[in-house]
Amino acid sequence: MNKPLLIENLFKSYGPVKAVNGVNLELQEGEIFGLLGPNGAGKTSIISCVVTLEKATSGQISIFGEKVGDATQRAQSKVGIVPQEVVNHGFFSIYEILEFQSGYYGISNNKERIEELLHELQLFEHREKKVKQLSGGMKRRLMIAKALVHKPRLLLLDEPTAGVDIELRSHLWKFVQKLKQQGVTVLLTTHYLEEAQELCDRVAVINRGEIVALDKTQSLIRGLTDRTLKIKFHGQEDYKTYTMKSGEALGQYLEKNKIDPLQIDDLSIEDGKLETAVRRLLNEKNNPAKSTEALP
Amino acid sequence: MSTARPSNLVWVPFFTLIKREIKRFMKVAVQTVLTPMITASLYLLIFGVSLGSHITLTSGVSYLAFLIPGLVMMGCLNNAFQNSSSSIVISKFSGDLEDLKIAPITNQQILWAMGVGGLFRGAFVGFVTLVVAEVFYYFSEGLVLGIQHPLILTVFLIFGGLAFAFLGLSTAFWAKNFDQLAAVNSFILLPLIYLGGVFFSIESLHPFWRSVAALNPLVYFINGVRYGFLGISDVDPLLALAVSGITMVVLYVTAYFSLKRASFIRW
Repeated sequence: MNKPLLIENLFKSYGPVKAVNGVNLELQEGEIFGLLGPNGAGKTSIISCVVTLEKATSGQISIFGEKVGDATQRAQSKVGIVPQEVVNHGFFSIYEILEFQSGYYGISNNKERIEELLHELQLFEHREKKVKQLSGGMKRRLMIAKALVHKPRLLLLDEPTAGVDIELRSHLWKFVQKLKQQGVTVLLTTHYLEEAQELCDRVAVINRGEIVALDKTQSLIRGLTDRTLKIKFHGQEDYKTYTMKSGEALGQYLEKNKIDPLQIDDLSIEDGKLETAVRRLLNEKNNPAKSTEALP
Repeated sequence: MSTARPSNLVWVPFFTLIKREIKRFMKVAVQTVLTPMITASLYLLIFGVSLGSHITLTSGVSYLAFLIPGLVMMGCLNNAFQNSSSSIVISKFSGDLEDLKIAPITNQQILWAMGVGGLFRGAFVGFVTLVVAEVFYYFSEGLVLGIQHPLILTVFLIFGGLAFAFLGLSTAFWAKNFDQLAAVNSFILLPLIYLGGVFFSIESLHPFWRSVAALNPLVYFINGVRYGFLGISDVDPLLALAVSGITMVVLYVTAYFSLKRASFIRW
């Protein structure tokens, strides 16, 4: 079966600067895939190459089996993108913008879909307004409506919640989960790693144009972070905190640390966080000499 | 979820882009209707009615009648250029030019849609100019200025409108800021139009300057339209048709390569 997105040996340079350095990536149908990394790591450059906004220096990109370059039009028709920056269409109303966007993707009468999205994204009553009359959150929602108006099978979200308040962020993430249920494959870049941990089935961490880790979200966390063990002993009011290696069995840990299980009233184990995993990984890559230092 | 069928990707995006271009210029009616009306009125009043009454042309037509086709074509060319160039530059500024690159629209579709959009605006302004001019002509001559060769007139307007829309597109993709765009308009386009025989017959020039004027392609566009209206021209109408057609093709090819090499990323 054709992969929603297949990136093979992608390189992108801007003059002497290598923004993307031999990236290979393969998305599975219906998954939410997180592309994480610091600013300038190459995330937006990869997305720009996928949507043909930038021309790759070398390498190959396929969208549902259609090669970008050979069958660009067919490939493009299957993708929707929410860009990092809001686009300000000066002349047109929200409704007109979505009508034109539908037309660009070959759909001449798309009233039903446009109205569905306007309701879904709480923009219906603002449909006659122009972009400059909208709040920051509404502008973001408009970008999402634009990306979805042609029912893409692959959705690229490039920092879609940058500068958006908590309530709207939560609403948008629920919306993304709903899209996943409808079979849409999502490639997401975000700085909100807590949310990426909740949402993403798999994540890749990119640093200086190279993918330095790619795994299922939970596997990556387990492989790179410790677990926190909290134990409440008989006769004590407070919990005592221990740090446990990922993958280490509880019984083995208790035995190694000479903790008598019969003395335990209550215990809980917390998994590590994606943020800690990413920070550790980037720290190891950027400062190899200090890689053995413990991270909070 | 189903995406658009590929067969719809040929005409729907193309007509959508044309519709967008037309809607865009209709939303700035002060620029597209009122300004050409006032400009045409001033030219007609000063050159046509006031000074024109003292000018005698060898062709036997009144100066006002001579002036009207040139003004119609001047309005058409100027506005065709303005439409495509301002559309691209504003889109570069606002970021919605990226939408065109990301969407399944080919360069040919963008090129022709922008060309047709520019042509529509040019023809619309040409028509507004003609309506104003007919009012002046009626009050001055007591009759309406007829069109001798409507088909020829239409062909020259299409060639001119498309050619200048393509030129606007190339200029807009080349320009790095609004100043560069304005410079092309002020230092290249306007002199070519004004020296292209809108206000004077190149027959009246010194032979040397007549040879120089013959290098200006605008002379052929303007005289072609004048032939369409009045049945008279400073140059052979067939030569005018050939030069206008070649100019349009050259500007189309230039626009195509500009678009191919262009950056769609926002300023």
